[in-house]
Amino acid sequence: MFLDSLSLTLTLLQQTCVYLVIAYLLSRTRIFIPLMNVAVRLPHRLTCYVVFSAFCIMGTYFGLKIDDSIANTRAIGAVLGGVLGGPSVGLAIGFTGGLHRYSLGGPSALACMLSTIVEGLIGGIFHSYMRGHGRIQTLFNPLAIAALTLAAEITQMLILLIVVQPFSAARHLVEQIAVPMGVANALGAGLFMRILLDRRQIHERQASVFSTKALALATRVEGVLHEGFNIDTSTRVAHIIHEELGVGAVAVTDTRNLLAFIGIGADHHLPGTPITSALTRRAIENNEVVYADGNALAYRCSISPKCPLAASLIIPLLGEERHVIGTIKLYEPRSRLFSTINRTLGEGIARLLSTQILAGRYMQQRELLAQSEIKLLHAQVNPHFLFNTLNTLSAIIRRDPERARHLVLNLSTFFRNNLKRPSEEASLGEEIDHVTAYLDIEKARFLDRLVVEFDVPVALRQCRLPAFSLQPIVENAIKHGTSHLLGVGRVLISARQIGDELHLCVEDNAGLYEAPRESNGLGLSLVHRRIADRYGPPYGLDIACERELSTRVTLRLPLAPTAPMALV
Amino acid sequence: MDVLIIDDEQPAREEIRHLLTQEADLRVVGECANAIEGISAINRHKPDVVFLDIQMPRISGLEMLSMLDPETLPRIVFLTAFDEYAVQAFDQDAFDYLLKPIDPARLDVTLRRLRRDRSPEQASALFQAAAPLKQIPCPGHLRVLLIKVDDVEFATSKASGVHITTHTGSEHFTELSLRTLEEKTPFLRCHRQYLVNPEHIREIAFQEGGGAEIITRSEHHLPVSRRLLPELKEKLGFA
Repeated sequence: MFLDSLSLTLTLLQQTCVYLVIAYLLSRTRIFIPLMNVAVRLPHRLTCYVVFSAFCIMGTYFGLKIDDSIANTRAIGAVLGGVLGGPSVGLAIGFTGGLHRYSLGGPSALACMLSTIVEGLIGGIFHSYMRGHGRIQTLFNPLAIAALTLAAEITQMLILLIVVQPFSAARHLVEQIAVPMGVANALGAGLFMRILLDRRQIHERQASVFSTKALALATRVEGVLHEGFNIDTSTRVAHIIHEELGVGAVAVTDTRNLLAFIGIGADHHLPGTPITSALTRRAIENNEVVYADGNALAYRCSISPKCPLAASLIIPLLGEERHVIGTIKLYEPRSRLFSTINRTLGEGIARLLSTQILAGRYMQQRELLAQSEIKLLHAQVNPHFLFNTLNTLSAIIRRDPERARHLVLNLSTFFRNNLKRPSEEASLGEEIDHVTAYLDIEKARFLDRLVVEFDVPVALRQCRLPAFSLQPIVENAIKHGTSHLLGVGRVLISARQIGDELHLCVEDNAGLYEAPRESNGLGLSLVHRRIADRYGPPYGLDIACERELSTRVTLRLPLAPTAPMALV
Repeated sequence: MDVLIIDDEQPAREEIRHLLTQEADLRVVGECANAIEGISAINRHKPDVVFLDIQMPRISGLEMLSMLDPETLPRIVFLTAFDEYAVQAFDQDAFDYLLKPIDPARLDVTLRRLRRDRSPEQASALFQAAAPLKQIPCPGHLRVLLIKVDDVEFATSKASGVHITTHTGSEHFTELSLRTLEEKTPFLRCHRQYLVNPEHIREIAFQEGGGAEIITRSEHHLPVSRRLLPELKEKLGFA
């Protein structure tokens, strides 16, 4: 009796092994990815149902016929399906596996169907209970699963004893199969879960290695190509990629020349030389990724026959409208393989770099635009100002030639300053001098109708700020402010250090400021945008206006800006 | 010819005055620094020609035009530092304009034209050019109050000049004549000395003997002359 039972156990375990090998092979396919976690969403549950129903049926087929019954491992599929998919999935699998068993007939057919359904349900209830108690990890514990399956088997035996008639036959059957099935199913279910866990760990480790590498690379190359796509920046990028990926060599090209080459073969792949490789030209011309793995497509260095590099991956870099502007190339020597990770990473990096190059160009263009707008503002001297000044001059020449000469000098100082390159920085002192020249001209026009006061501490005159920031504010205060007063217009220009900020304040006594409509007020908004772009918020212009009393425009910028914030 | 110069910049006035005093038949009767002074001086001196700067504080030369009494309009020569679209928009024959700095030869052309045709300015051309008044300038101390036409309840002519009263009850002196206001605003004439803003009429009380009285929303009582009553009723739509 005992020997019988032992030999049956061993035979059933053998069958279980075949069953598990199939499980292992399947676990290497994509089908199993959804099974590595608890299935919550419908598509995952469906996969769970299909896969474990199949295992359930397979368990029946791998069973051993004893009399008219079958000692089997059907319980593994039903219990695991319930554990991973929940009660409904467990029940469905139980039904499927049970109906299948019922269709095979025999005295225990009905009992087996019932018990399979109950086993699926047991798995499902276990699932619900553990989830409800926040112990999802227990669902993946092989020991817990083995114990659960054992419990399910015991339940099955009880069902057999109750359902199969006559009782003597039932007792005989149970005596024969109870131990082998309990052992085989519990062990099988535990090992099955172990396989799942291993797959999950491998999968996660790969994913984490990949994302760590990708993140490290992305962080390190961030911003390098914003400065332009040239030999210097390409070399820096190639260095980083070479270090991070650990490939044999890394090259960067534009559409004509090699810009950078780091790694094996750097002695004869010289930056600055024209592209000689036909594969690279193919990648550029067809805008395609070219992969010469050294087998199907041979890579042979086009420069030196002694070059140890034997495999190459060439990925195009894309610029505006997806035009190829260059390539990035990864190489491996004969002795090494290209890992899939590095191939995928390579392509990802190429996309990242393409975006960066585009962003860099966009930023350069934006900066150029801002500069040309400022230039325009310089050139665009208010014609009223110019001709009124000339008119004033023509009146003063008659009365006071010496004063007229002085006015001409002021005018030339003003225009000379205006022609300075707008991207240049200036000291506050220089800005004040520029404004003074401007104000002397305005005072000649308005005479005693314009009074200007300065309150600028000498210490602050050394502060740096973008040239041509102050004059438009003062001009605005006069043109749209004090020149509309019937009485005396007063303008106060002051500078203060507040914390680590410089506050330049231009206040007039007109209080006529109106928020600019589309076309006018170009001067002020441009000054604001330039400061805000350069230093970021909260820097720029604040405007406070008390109707008919005063307008105060405050220019805020960081004091001693050592490194202006990058334009992002 | 009597000439008035209106320009807010003193050197600019000096310049045009210098050029004009070269002409024997011209007499500069005054210089004004803004539109308010200008309207007042035109009313006072009744010049033949006004040299009028366009860019001036608060009220531009163009806006000032619409504030002048159309009956006693002098010839206008605009002055501008910059060839503005606003000036170009005018009919060249109706208004003359000079660019600053002034070219004496170009000034000669203007003066010859003025000597040849001394008839007063064509009021109709002016009214086509000038928009209706939205605000009424009232000189204050060193400032000009620009009072919205919609806020005015009525205008009245007193010995001390024309005054407007707003819905808040404040009264302001203005250089504009009642006639100008009648032409340029929706105000209705109800009496020889009164204009009323129809938007602010609360009731018209008819009196025995055919007379009437207007009571405004803020309880001002305005006389209605018997002669003007039928016309007023017609304009208010209950004739």
